[in-house]
Amino acid sequence: MRQPMTPPMRRYLARFVPAMLAYVGVLVGSLWVIRHLAPTGPLLWALAVAPAVPVIAVIAIMGLYLMEETDEFLRSVLAQSMLWGIGVTLTVTTAWGFLENADLLPHPPLYLIFPLFCASMGLAQPLVRWRYQ
Amino acid sequence: MKNRLKVLRAERDWSQADLADRLEVSRQTVNALETGKYDPSLPLAFKIARLFDQSIETIFQDEA
Repeated sequence: MRQPMTPPMRRYLARFVPAMLAYVGVLVGSLWVIRHLAPTGPLLWALAVAPAVPVIAVIAIMGLYLMEETDEFLRSVLAQSMLWGIGVTLTVTTAWGFLENADLLPHPPLYLIFPLFCASMGLAQPLVRWRYQ
Repeated sequence: MKNRLKVLRAERDWSQADLADRLEVSRQTVNALETGKYDPSLPLAFKIARLFDQSIETIFQDEA
């Protein structure tokens, strides 16, 4: 039962897609410059952190959607899904940290935490919605 | 919370989508309201009451 998109959903997509395209572009560019031109000092810092900027934009875009959505039920489902996402992310990272302490698991790059949150939030959404069927 | 939305809607021969349009909410919201598993906010409850020209208490029953 796919629903037509609400105007805030369309605005969300219109912001999200360019942000993700920017992310891919900035990531590839930053990796390339770091690898081939071997910058140092502040320039290296700026280039290294650059891919985080569009990701932070995506976080802001998700927050904007939550604020702009006027349909209270859709907003409630999303907020609950985000809480599930936070819970799963904190659970996994906490358990992982202790397992890592005992040298049972490797140290993962911290930028994987946001995708973990997105994935668990995404999986939670149909389950949260299902509770209201 | 139990409610008479489904009956009121059927009396007017509206689909869930019709009711959703009139309330300016998604069809999912109407569906969740009708199952009684999602309680509307006070502004939406008033909007529903006004649409059906009935009081909130005659549409929603909060007994166990």
